[in-house]
Amino acid sequence: MHKFLALIFLSLVVGCNNSQNLDNTNYDDPIPPESGGVLTNAMIGEPNNLIAMIAGDSASSAIAGQIFNALLKYDQNLGFEGDLADSWTISDDYKKITFNLKQDIKWADDKPFTCEDVLFTWKKVTDPDTRTPYGSDYQLVSSASCANNHIFIAEYDEPYAPALETWASLHILPEHLLKNENINDTYFSLNPTGTNFYALDEWTTGQQVKLKTNPNSVHGRPLLEKKITRIIPDLSSQFMELIAGNIDLMNINPIQYSRVFPSRSELNDKINLYKEMGNGYTYFGFNLKKKPFDDLNIRKAISYAINKEEIINGVLLGLGEEITSPYKPGTYWENKSINKISFDVSKSRELLEKSGYQLNANNIYEKDGKPLAFEILTNQNKQREMTAVLIQRRLQDIGIDVSIRVIEWASFVNRFIKTGEFEAVVLGWSLSLDPDQYSIWHSSQDGPGQFNFIGYNNPRVDTLLENGRKELKNEKRKQIYDEFSKIIYDEQPIIYLYAGYGLTAIHKKIKGVKKITPPAGVFHNDYEWYIPKKFRRNEMSL
Amino acid sequence: MLNYLVKRILWMIPMLIGISLISFFIMHLAPGDITSNESAFNPKASEESRQKLRELYNLDKPIIVQYGLWLKRIVQLDFGSSFASHQRPVLWETKDENGNIKPGLIQKALPITLLINLLTILLIFSISILLGTIAAIKKNKIPDRIITLFVFIGFAIPGFWLALILMYSLGVVNQVLPISGLHSVGYEQMSKLGQIFDLLKHLALPVFISCLSGLAGISLYVRNGMIEILNQDFIKTARAKGLYEKKVIFVHTLKNALLPLITILGLSIPGLIGGSVIAESIFAIPGMGKLFYDAVLMRDFPVVMGILTIGSILTLIGNLIADLAYAWADPRIRRGLVK
Repeated sequence: MHKFLALIFLSLVVGCNNSQNLDNTNYDDPIPPESGGVLTNAMIGEPNNLIAMIAGDSASSAIAGQIFNALLKYDQNLGFEGDLADSWTISDDYKKITFNLKQDIKWADDKPFTCEDVLFTWKKVTDPDTRTPYGSDYQLVSSASCANNHIFIAEYDEPYAPALETWASLHILPEHLLKNENINDTYFSLNPTGTNFYALDEWTTGQQVKLKTNPNSVHGRPLLEKKITRIIPDLSSQFMELIAGNIDLMNINPIQYSRVFPSRSELNDKINLYKEMGNGYTYFGFNLKKKPFDDLNIRKAISYAINKEEIINGVLLGLGEEITSPYKPGTYWENKSINKISFDVSKSRELLEKSGYQLNANNIYEKDGKPLAFEILTNQNKQREMTAVLIQRRLQDIGIDVSIRVIEWASFVNRFIKTGEFEAVVLGWSLSLDPDQYSIWHSSQDGPGQFNFIGYNNPRVDTLLENGRKELKNEKRKQIYDEFSKIIYDEQPIIYLYAGYGLTAIHKKIKGVKKITPPAGVFHNDYEWYIPKKFRRNEMSL
Repeated sequence: MLNYLVKRILWMIPMLIGISLISFFIMHLAPGDITSNESAFNPKASEESRQKLRELYNLDKPIIVQYGLWLKRIVQLDFGSSFASHQRPVLWETKDENGNIKPGLIQKALPITLLINLLTILLIFSISILLGTIAAIKKNKIPDRIITLFVFIGFAIPGFWLALILMYSLGVVNQVLPISGLHSVGYEQMSKLGQIFDLLKHLALPVFISCLSGLAGISLYVRNGMIEILNQDFIKTARAKGLYEKKVIFVHTLKNALLPLITILGLSIPGLIGGSVIAESIFAIPGMGKLFYDAVLMRDFPVVMGILTIGSILTLIGNLIADLAYAWADPRIRRGLVK
């Protein structure tokens, strides 16, 4: 609440104040690329550990991703391209992937990078003593080996379609520095050596992480000489640092994007805004093991009664999209032929009555003397809370009695999700790049602590998900997941609410940012970004 | 006297065990553990691997066994390592065989919080004593009213709100003070004096904001204490024998009025290590408040227990110091102790 108040106040101050620090620099002139310069950005949390397989938090992966490479990476259109691998081949039976690694690559400490490093990393991520939650994907590799220094071979007992994605998310670690270390508590995690664009320069606990260019970088030298990431937990403070010119970029929220910026032209003179599809979606999920949610009519009735457009406008100020499948809108895996269920009160009533519900004296639907009433559960997340309130109001209108309970995350998961003691939830999933959704939708995944906690069970979907994991041909895979998306949408075990945009504000002195953001996001080409000399801060001493 | 001291210190041991036992159990009453934080709610992280993590952290054992393991380490002064900030030592830095130093979490956060809180208490007490004295001398006159109004506004105003306004006006519009953080870019290159100045500039707003709410209580305490003493007979005597008013106020009245403040000062010692989560978040200060808050949300048991243990030790020491100081200042109590 306090942030919200602060923002309102800030917009008031901002609105009636003719800022005195108006600088008249024109940032729009084209200037050719110049290397050097320091980029300063901000993050809300401190990285835990720069070995990403152990850390698991987003701050760590953001920093570690600039230091380490995987075998593969996503290109700007979200296809695969080589990262440490030059090329890769998949055997005809789909059970063997051969990676040809780049040659003459050196770690930042000048030691050569070889296949042994890849093998070592695989051994570590599958080692039962390694404290990583991400081991299971790599345990599917039945044998991993090095044919020579530059050929890494991963063999699977059965074809595993998401395999390439798993090799794009595993940071390769240097064997020579870690073989005698305990990976769980090694000092390396605070002072890593990698192969990517940057190397750690200095880490001031709780304050900032400073990166410098890695002269041995596998993809050559980036233009920006240093990157400083300051740790500023409060977004209002980050925003003030941004408009004061002390940080160069940050993720902003919908209020800043569509209220503050449009009302202050002097901010638009020095800061560019970028909008791209975000990485997750928010949904309304039913506990399918409980009555009345096992009834398709009831689920559909609720879906018709919810006004998704209103939620997007109210919660995200319009900065989001409706989705019909769990994939990023506009990308390959999205099933574009699904017809949206749109807000329609009369259809909703029709469906409720079809299931035998009648309005009672209090204007609430009831069946056999039992009113249609349930509780929506969500965790402490402003957007989800607001969403739940809007849903509650619409359902109240139609005659469904809904209450809302908001709970701290760990209690939410352990007391309600794990035990199955909930009726409906407002939650989010990520919009995955690989279409595999096995752990969320397969009927075998509904045990305590697993992710099909809503208890979805459809044999056809199970078959599709199993086949989808084994199919490596994109066209065939696309058919499988199109059918999967269609069944899920028809059965409405969850109601897709919205996928919000990621909003980024970048100072105009940063040049080289693509005007049209590619599917891979605005940061995709950040190695080409540069700050012309005349716009740099006075930072010679760095 | 020495006997008394030894007795008090020995008494602390069972008290500490009791405190830690209660804290440990209450902490484990909260549902969830380190493996159920939000980033672990990721389809790529399987339940089996989370179960494996629980075993590696001994979280699958009964609570009483976990407490035993913790107690065993703590008597060797080993506060363990954080679960969340992977394996960073909770209390103090550790060195591995190559001479690499891993900084301790409390070691890094405590000095910052201590500095801010010491500055804050110093300011609160000196300003409050001044304001309280003026208010008492000018009792029920305009200065008294103004001071009371001012300290209550300070008490009532939401700190985070004022903080954001000040950050905006002093940091963004007129760039006289830094907005957030502890050091400027290029801090390492500054001279020693420059570094101190830079740090003070960064601390100005956070300290000011934390002072504001503390002024009301203490200045009114001083004011009322002064008024009570000013009405006593020995002050009349002092005035009657012709002492300067200054001497009456500052030597005879103030000295006596300050006596109860010793207790307050002693009681605020444990507060010295606690930081404000909101202020630390807004000003991006990596202090104890944020450390503790994040640890609780992450169910990072070693860090939570580490901070609680240090906190209870300091509370007990604070109480002891308050009692001793009181005895030192007031002969009546001193005589009671020795008996």
